[in-house]
Amino acid sequence: MQNQQDEIPVEPEKESTTFNAAFEADDWSNYKDTDVMQQHSAILEQDAAKFPFVGDKEPLSSLANEYKSGSPILLEKIEVLSKQYAAIRRTRGDGNCFFRSFMFSYLEHIFESQDQAEVERIKTNVEKCRKTLQGLGYSDFTFEDFFSLFIEQLESVLQGNEDSISHDELIVRSRDQSVSDYVVMFFRFVTSGEIKKRSEFFEPFILGLTNTTVEQFCKTSVEPMGEESDHVHITAFFG
Amino acid sequence: MQASRARLFKEYKEVQREKVADPDIQLVCDDSNIFKWTALIKGPSETPYEGGVFQLAFSVPEQYPLQPPQVRFLTKIFHPNVHFKTGEICLDILKNAWSPAWTLQSVCRAIIALMAHPEPDSPLNCDSGNLLRSGDVRGFQSMAKMYTRLAAMPKKG
Repeated sequence: MQNQQDEIPVEPEKESTTFNAAFEADDWSNYKDTDVMQQHSAILEQDAAKFPFVGDKEPLSSLANEYKSGSPILLEKIEVLSKQYAAIRRTRGDGNCFFRSFMFSYLEHIFESQDQAEVERIKTNVEKCRKTLQGLGYSDFTFEDFFSLFIEQLESVLQGNEDSISHDELIVRSRDQSVSDYVVMFFRFVTSGEIKKRSEFFEPFILGLTNTTVEQFCKTSVEPMGEESDHVHITAFFG
Repeated sequence: MQASRARLFKEYKEVQREKVADPDIQLVCDDSNIFKWTALIKGPSETPYEGGVFQLAFSVPEQYPLQPPQVRFLTKIFHPNVHFKTGEICLDILKNAWSPAWTLQSVCRAIIALMAHPEPDSPLNCDSGNLLRSGDVRGFQSMAKMYTRLAAMPKKG
């Protein structure tokens, strides 16, 4: 009697299906977050092969052609743009495009104008930002590398120095992942510092946009790479 | 590569300075490889992990600090956001919310905070998450406490 109770009914076919199901479930649990991240970065790399961070100049008409069968309002806007601009450059849409495009056009502007006074003005502001971040409790080593790389780029577009660079070199650097990413991070730190410094002003806008605190917003939507810039970022950045 | 190495050196110095300020975290760099670190963290008080010491393994990528370090528990832990077999941690700042403003030290602090405030709605350990989600706090705590005692406390005798 005892023996019979202990015996497990043997049904080989059913048992094998249970095993398979269990095996599959196990397979999924072995599919780790790191795999997801690797797949994500592989997709980004595919995109990277198609679009450089900063594209070559294209005539505005190439943009107009794309929207030919689209909204007439957009075509009107392109028409307005054409009164002031002759050409466009496309940037990679990876969530950092606002910062990357601003960086390139700003450095290009300094390159063309050789405006020493503007460079001095920005350097003073960068020093202020450094103080702001220190005052907010950031350790120097978390942001100083990004700051010094930006200053280096800014100084290098001014001509007549040992480290001066040509326009071609500016494009090469703007397409270089490590240079570009570091400058983007510099901008992100500056933006985050500015939002936190004027948190009373930004709080209602941030509440409207994401329903989080200023601190949380900076942590999740400003400081991480690839987080898109909205009006809050842009206002803070130019503020 | 060079940038990540320089940054890790700065963090190393900072860790030496902060040792006294943060007695719950003991962060140690591998003798021969600055991209490999381990940490001993104390289980936060008033949690089932209290009294336990948990070991974490850090693997820092060459693109650090633009990319997050990979961190996992080496000590077994029963927690909704830690994989029971691999020790992998589900924490936003180690994934898409990473930013260079974080340091290895502050990551440790974030993990201690996660131990005290589990998020059962995004579980890596479903059994643990389900206990909390069904409101069985007592069941969760006794399981977590048991594993703390088994794996994270010095063996007696």
